[in-house]
Amino acid sequence: MITNLPEDLYLLVIVALLPLSAIMLTVQVNPYNALVIRGILGAVAALVYSVLGAADVALTEALVGTLLAITLYAVAVRSSLVMRVGVLTAEVEADPEKFEAIYDQIRAMLSTRYLRLKVLSYETRADLDAALTVKELHGLCLRSPSPQPDQPPYELTIRLRSLHDLLSTELPHQTPPLTHLIPPSSTDTPAKSS
Amino acid sequence: MNLLLIAMTLILLIPLYEAWQDDDIWQKMLAFASVASKTSIMILCISVLRDDWMIGVVGVIILSVGNAGFMLLAHLIKRITLQ
Amino acid sequence: MVTGLSYLCIGIGVVFWLWGTLPLLGDRSVLFKLHPLSVSDTLGSMSIVFGLLLKIPREWPLLILALLSLALWNTMLSYVMAYCVSREDSDDH
Repeated sequence: MITNLPEDLYLLVIVALLPLSAIMLTVQVNPYNALVIRGILGAVAALVYSVLGAADVALTEALVGTLLAITLYAVAVRSSLVMRVGVLTAEVEADPEKFEAIYDQIRAMLSTRYLRLKVLSYETRADLDAALTVKELHGLCLRSPSPQPDQPPYELTIRLRSLHDLLSTELPHQTPPLTHLIPPSSTDTPAKSS
Repeated sequence: MNLLLIAMTLILLIPLYEAWQDDDIWQKMLAFASVASKTSIMILCISVLRDDWMIGVVGVIILSVGNAGFMLLAHLIKRITLQ
Repeated sequence: MVTGLSYLCIGIGVVFWLWGTLPLLGDRSVLFKLHPLSVSDTLGSMSIVFGLLLKIPREWPLLILALLSLALWNTMLSYVMAYCVSREDSDDH
């Protein structure tokens, strides 16, 4: 048996896990992965707190820090990282395959920033514009009223400046582009609401 | 006991490394499940080592409640990824 | 005698842990990794808790509770996990 081992060496080894998992959490880019790593950090933190003798803090960390925080965080990530696009029901029914291809292309562009796409269909153009005005939607995907020969026949109107910038950097990578982007009107301030 | 706890900590590093290097969310969840059950068993070991009843109770509560929370999280993530 | 037996149980549990956790490092599917992890992790954890029970029999209600929750929850957990994964990519394996 090794005798010159310090009696609380295991303490040092276990406590060293906490900064390790904390660094792991901070280098995550994908919010969903960060969610899982937060759970690991919570488990390690509960271990460290109980090793150091703070049983009540460990229990609080496990129940609130791990259980409640990651559940709320999952709900928050799910409801905020989404782009809502409005379409007209008649146009989708006229050419469903084309719209599926457009959705796939938008999903591919959004996936670099871990955003999801949610499509909402409306009966009339007036409903669509009303939904855009009250900020229910982030963008519209419609057939162009005056199609240009050098442009795709569908246009994607984006209300938010930041979202438009993101899509305009990603759109040239998609071949062939199925839509062209309409930038937000200048009166619209770059809103932060989602 | 000291050496056994250090061995357990070293084994705990394997799922930590796996969670760090794999990008698939389910592989990370698997590593998380592994870490969660291992840490609560280690808390139990330490409570027996120090003969501290209070830490042991915390370990058992974390073991049972943490697993329940993990199931909740698994279902939430399934809903998210399926959209 | 009892102390030696308890250390033996804890040592076996640690070996089971190592055996169950090492497949995590491979580049295989989640279901392939889930099987050794759920089986040998649960067995290893139960062996460790049994060793602790031999070491301090005075704390038996707590450790029995730990054994029961390990056996029930971890089994259920692996089923839930397998269900969640197989619904996601049913054409993958």
